[in-house]
Amino acid sequence: MSKNRNAAIIGSGMSEFSSHREDVNQPEMIHEAVIEALRDADIALEDVDCLLHGNMELFEMVHQPDMWHVLGDGARGKSGLRLTTGGTTGITLACAADNLVASGLHDVVLAIGFEKLQEGHTTGGITNMADPLWGRSLQTGALTGTGAQKVIDEFGEERAKLAAMKYRTIMDEHAMRNEKAHRRLRLERQYIKETADNSPPLVGELRMIHMCSQSDGACAVVFASEEKVRALGANPAWIVDHETVHREETMVFGSMLSTQRAAAERLFARAGIANPRGDIDVFEMYDPSAWWGVDWLRDFLLLEGDEHLKMIENDEIVLDGPFPVNPSGGVIASNPIGATALVRVAEAAMQVRGTAGAHQVSKPVRRALASGFGGTLWTVLMLLSKEKPERRVNTHG
Amino acid sequence: MAEETSVPERIVSRQVLAIPQRFSTGPVMGRFLRELRDHKRIMANKCPKCGRHQLPPREVCAVCHVEATGWEELPPEGAIRDFDVVYYASPDPLTGETRQVPYVLCWVDLDGTQGDAPLWHLLNVENLAEVRRGVRVRVVFADERHGTTEDIRHFEIIREEASPGAGTGAES
Amino acid sequence: MANRVAICAVAQTKFEACKRDVRTQGLLWEVVKDVRAQTGLDFGPGGIAGAVTVSDDVFDARTISDGAVTDLVGAHFGSEEKVAADGAQGVYYAAATVLSGHHDVVLLAGHCKESQPASRNMVTHLAFDPFYTRPVGLDYLCAAALQAQAYMARSGVSETQLAEVVVRARQWAARNPVAQETAAVTREEVLASPMIADPIREKFMYPVSDGAIAMILASETHARRLTDKPVWITGLGNCYDSFFLGERDLAGNFALERAAQRAYAMAGVSAPETAFDLAEIADQYAHQLPQYAEGLGLCPEGCGGRWLDEGGPDRQRVNRSGGMIAGNPLILGGLARVAEAVIQLRDEAGERQVAHAQRAVAQGATGPAGQLQTVVVLER
Repeated sequence: MSKNRNAAIIGSGMSEFSSHREDVNQPEMIHEAVIEALRDADIALEDVDCLLHGNMELFEMVHQPDMWHVLGDGARGKSGLRLTTGGTTGITLACAADNLVASGLHDVVLAIGFEKLQEGHTTGGITNMADPLWGRSLQTGALTGTGAQKVIDEFGEERAKLAAMKYRTIMDEHAMRNEKAHRRLRLERQYIKETADNSPPLVGELRMIHMCSQSDGACAVVFASEEKVRALGANPAWIVDHETVHREETMVFGSMLSTQRAAAERLFARAGIANPRGDIDVFEMYDPSAWWGVDWLRDFLLLEGDEHLKMIENDEIVLDGPFPVNPSGGVIASNPIGATALVRVAEAAMQVRGTAGAHQVSKPVRRALASGFGGTLWTVLMLLSKEKPERRVNTHG
Repeated sequence: MAEETSVPERIVSRQVLAIPQRFSTGPVMGRFLRELRDHKRIMANKCPKCGRHQLPPREVCAVCHVEATGWEELPPEGAIRDFDVVYYASPDPLTGETRQVPYVLCWVDLDGTQGDAPLWHLLNVENLAEVRRGVRVRVVFADERHGTTEDIRHFEIIREEASPGAGTGAES
Repeated sequence: MANRVAICAVAQTKFEACKRDVRTQGLLWEVVKDVRAQTGLDFGPGGIAGAVTVSDDVFDARTISDGAVTDLVGAHFGSEEKVAADGAQGVYYAAATVLSGHHDVVLLAGHCKESQPASRNMVTHLAFDPFYTRPVGLDYLCAAALQAQAYMARSGVSETQLAEVVVRARQWAARNPVAQETAAVTREEVLASPMIADPIREKFMYPVSDGAIAMILASETHARRLTDKPVWITGLGNCYDSFFLGERDLAGNFALERAAQRAYAMAGVSAPETAFDLAEIADQYAHQLPQYAEGLGLCPEGCGGRWLDEGGPDRQRVNRSGGMIAGNPLILGGLARVAEAVIQLRDEAGERQVAHAQRAVAQGATGPAGQLQTVVVLER
């Protein structure tokens, strides 16, 4: 079976991201993102026929929050769905938007991810993802040092720590060019070692400086059918394909298979991508920490050995480099969890559409990749392109 | 005017929201907890197809998509596969109380375990420098047990002078 | 629309007030195993390509409630996406994943144990905003009571008529092997049940319920391979109303009318009063049976009372399952309605079977006083 029809991203918007958006309530914060997305797409709310909504209820302790948030997103009278899959929620919304447009059920879909983490306890909320019968007394939210330990074991302490901090510093350099980014620290490369040593340890070798932020924020993205793209004369970032790879609920590190690699292998095989670093121009990765960012780069790009470390050491992943990673500054800079993975898709689309402003990469962008992370090491990948994709035959059943 | 430049007070509404729960344990997890409480036995269930253990036991083998119907007792000793030394003081969602730090969590391959099924629990250790992969540890059970995973109080490192009958499945 | 989508298998647990002997995973596995046995499908290439689940973090008291079931729905190194709303929304999304061409065969699986939290109302209380509507103590029960007052005042539906709705629901539930409340009641017994939230009496509301439902959805080519009785999803529609109850016409059906219009337009239904051989309505509360029948166009607006008196529910074969008022968890109410429609259209409904059923409509609701409505048209 082939894709029924093409879908594209034609606009996106983000609220201000900050640790404490106490100046707005939840619907008001969502409203900021919705208005900006509609303006970016140059459409009115009337043009939207379906809204998608997602976050995690236990962070803010609001049940079915799409009900209340109608006040801010304008869903009254419109179709809609609420999908949540943990940290991957935002990119699951993007996959769902693609499916809903491609299905023919809807022409213009507005996907909204949000989180107002300061309204609850983030680490406590994540800890509640453990089974109530085991693990809740043990889990520390999403914090673990095993990711750091894995890189250290393989490449030695000095090289591993330098790579993680180099990655962290590059992300901050990118964030400095993104006015929406929550944390802009002005880190300096010459003080990498001191910065790490002075940062409080969280778990093992994972320090505060390595870890993603806790942010309040919302992101909204407009998806449209091929016919609508034409009718609106929109500037599209086409959706080529997406792949979701979840895992069972136990957190087993070490010998575990990688969902990042599995998702990339499947997606690239279908999209005919033989050389990810050559065939893809920019990557927005859901990097919950510098350590995981470093480690997963290898899996997502199907690399072996220390090629991923060399990419970091040789400045290949910087904004003006040959393979820019997270021109936005990534998740370490801004992390309103239910929005975070949708921000990755929005940022990838901005790069394709050439609308990223001060953090637009210098090379031409034909294809962009966005990833989501959540649950017990789950991955969702989405591939976007400047050129309208051929509607290929679906080979994954 | 002067009033227009001042920021109005932003009122924050503080609420504690909690709903008491009663979680069924079911026949699979229920058996695991019953064996812990009544016999200080660590029972893993087992996939009849691929033979992997599941700890904690779960209804279905995620790899083979069949019910994990077998059961085997695993010894309360094994080797550390992975560990976390936690410095960040987070709340225990079961009690609401902030945890004392630092503490050590470890994933332990109990001797004879088939597949990836390490038992995850606290490690009671004074000297953090002793915590390494491959270190042999044993389960210390709680004196009073209630049918929860806290019936395992923690792991402790096995000292060489006191390692009677160490298992044969230790990592080489 | 180029592609078609069919429901090829359905399984439901028996719905019960408290399934204390099984945890949610065991509950869900029962129905997943069942639909796999019906279709002979395994997970993976050539089989079930992905799962759409339905569950609720607050009811499950678990962040990422679908994390508990990935192993059961084939999502260990596979695809799973959770719809956090009434299960009819799960049907909507699962159908979209097939119509889009992304998946050929999809598992839809939902679970909920309403008996787990101390109170269902404590859960739905949290759906209200923290500043304005929580402080006055609203929950979905109270919202439904306000809706009932408004609807009964406008339509003239009486308490006695609502009691008859319950009496009839029990009669049909007794013929449904998965129904929860199957004991016969008299009108007098219903009217003597305690007043919970005026005008809602205890027997006017759906009981606390535990259960799980699974379905297999497939594209046309695969559907014909999987079953000789595919049930086609020919119409889908949903719609939100506004949030604040005071801003809504609680006696009306703003969202449901639009959801129905969308589903009927897709299915080519122009005269809903006569278009369906059966209808399944998510009557969480007795007054919602006539109210939502109006919204679905089964009877004229404002005529729900007359519709009840003139035998509308029997004539139009509404809720032969016993309805939601016989007992389904909140988030599975619409999914159970779709399940019953499929069973009827497959001619597998036993002593409650509607003869020669060709086309059915099923409705589900999410949120306070049905703020989000979903309508599904199904045909054999």
